[in-house]
Amino acid sequence: MNVGLTRRQFIAGSAVLAGAAIVPVIAQSQFFDVPFVPTPQVVVDEMLRLANVTSKDLVYDLGSGDGRIVITAARKFGARATGVELDNHLIYQSEESARQANVLDRVKFLQQDFFKTDFSDATVVTLYLLPAVMKRLRERMLQLKPGTRLVAHDFDFDDWRPDVKTTIRKNVFLWIVPAHAGGRWQVRAGLPGGELVFDMELRQKYQELDGFTRFDGQPGGLWEAKLEGDRIRFVVVDGRDRDNEATLYLEGRVSGSTMEGDLVRGVGNQQARFKWRAVRTGDGPPVKK
Amino acid sequence: MSSASIVLRSALCGVLFLAGAAAGFPTSARAATLDIPTPYVPSTELNVDEMLRLADVKASDVVYDLGSGDGRIVIAAARDWGARGVGIEIDPKLVAESRERAQRAGVANRVSFREGDVLKAAVSEATVVTMYLLTPLVARLQPKLLAELKPGARIVAHDYPFADWKPDRHVRVSKNFYLYVVPAKITGKWQLAVPVGGAVREYELELSQRFQEVSGGARVAGGYLPAFEARLAGERIAFVLVDDNTSYRFEGRVSGHAMEGEVRWGAGPRQQQSTWRATRIVGVGEG
Repeated sequence: MNVGLTRRQFIAGSAVLAGAAIVPVIAQSQFFDVPFVPTPQVVVDEMLRLANVTSKDLVYDLGSGDGRIVITAARKFGARATGVELDNHLIYQSEESARQANVLDRVKFLQQDFFKTDFSDATVVTLYLLPAVMKRLRERMLQLKPGTRLVAHDFDFDDWRPDVKTTIRKNVFLWIVPAHAGGRWQVRAGLPGGELVFDMELRQKYQELDGFTRFDGQPGGLWEAKLEGDRIRFVVVDGRDRDNEATLYLEGRVSGSTMEGDLVRGVGNQQARFKWRAVRTGDGPPVKK
Repeated sequence: MSSASIVLRSALCGVLFLAGAAAGFPTSARAATLDIPTPYVPSTELNVDEMLRLADVKASDVVYDLGSGDGRIVIAAARDWGARGVGIEIDPKLVAESRERAQRAGVANRVSFREGDVLKAAVSEATVVTMYLLTPLVARLQPKLLAELKPGARIVAHDYPFADWKPDRHVRVSKNFYLYVVPAKITGKWQLAVPVGGAVREYELELSQRFQEVSGGARVAGGYLPAFEARLAGERIAFVLVDDNTSYRFEGRVSGHAMEGEVRWGAGPRQQQSTWRATRIVGVGEG
């Protein structure tokens, strides 16, 4: 514990003196020095809890150190887990701990530079890396399957805001890899009075969405738009009939160049539910980053 | 109707800039209280729907609309959500109109309209309060609502939020809507007891609050455990204490000077739980 505190001060120092070669600990990548600072067990538990890890998950820990996150994911959460670590000695130690915890059949440790690892089959990725490394990984993370959960502590992805942040001793962050929803779409829904058709333009920055709609060419609002993995929801107001404006609540899933889901019109006991579908009609403005 | 409401809306914006210029407002109606002139600007049907939706109104609710105008929110709460509704309105003509509209909507038995000043109205039976009032009146209502409403009561403000009380939710659908849940009063020192494995662990829990925001921690023999992730939603409370490298996640209900609920620890399928109880030993201003 005392050692941990010393290392903690150390990491703060090395973050300030970016890339300082004085760090007498393990380099994770040939380009970025990542010191080995073990995550306290209570924070490991919180990271895996926040990511809602279950036995269906495949967890990758990038810079797995002594293997504690990988072993905890397997032992307490029943997941399969892979640790990626550059240091041979730590890999050996991890395998020994996994043997003792009786989870060798569900864990794997790869001795390599995680910038060279293919972790595209991950459903959860855990990270405890310095800001420069996080920033360099961000683009690759965005290429993972929509819905993949990323958890980190202490350091975040800069302007990619976490979907959830909790503080249990340390700040712990959760991001859910968003689907690509930005662009122009045409939305159709079969309503009792005939088919509803409107155009929609979504602007996307990570999981954040805004945009506007056109009903018969007439501009309309788009409100409360949210993206969580491939799940999308938003509210539109059909204002063509000024005396009978309708708020429509849409929820659904994005899959490539289509979306579909449920549309709710009206509130309280006036509420009615319909199906909607959208097709991408254009790319829209470039994604803001 | 809608073009009229657009005119009123832009007039209302004018009033905000020329503070106190309401005397020149194109309607003589004053919707709420005598000493703060409040223009009568009806919420559109869409706004009404969104307010009641945000408050998640149920048939068991009693919805009070402060400055109820022509009664549309109160009537919608009864007609579309099955709730009971009460409107407080200072203009007798609007009160009469509201009663007629309620009759026509077939909800007269579930709504009532009281002619009066919202600052003097008895509101303690309300489980939901809606308001579309200008900032000075919203500010005057804040202490009254916090003191008189029961913990868990929901307040929905349209366009004009409370100044220093952060909303529990803020949504924008054409307009801004703010949801506040009246928090239980939890400030003070509590004796917390948790039965774990045959023994009872005791903590002295010290909590303070700013509206629904809670901070504090627990004193144990030889140390202090800060409360993490503390949340208060009405009478529901949650917090996390980290003891012995384990997170204990407390959830429960506050009822006067007692709290009780469940505490969980451990991760994944190995999670364990127990019940907990706390009794307030020192209240606000006593310690």
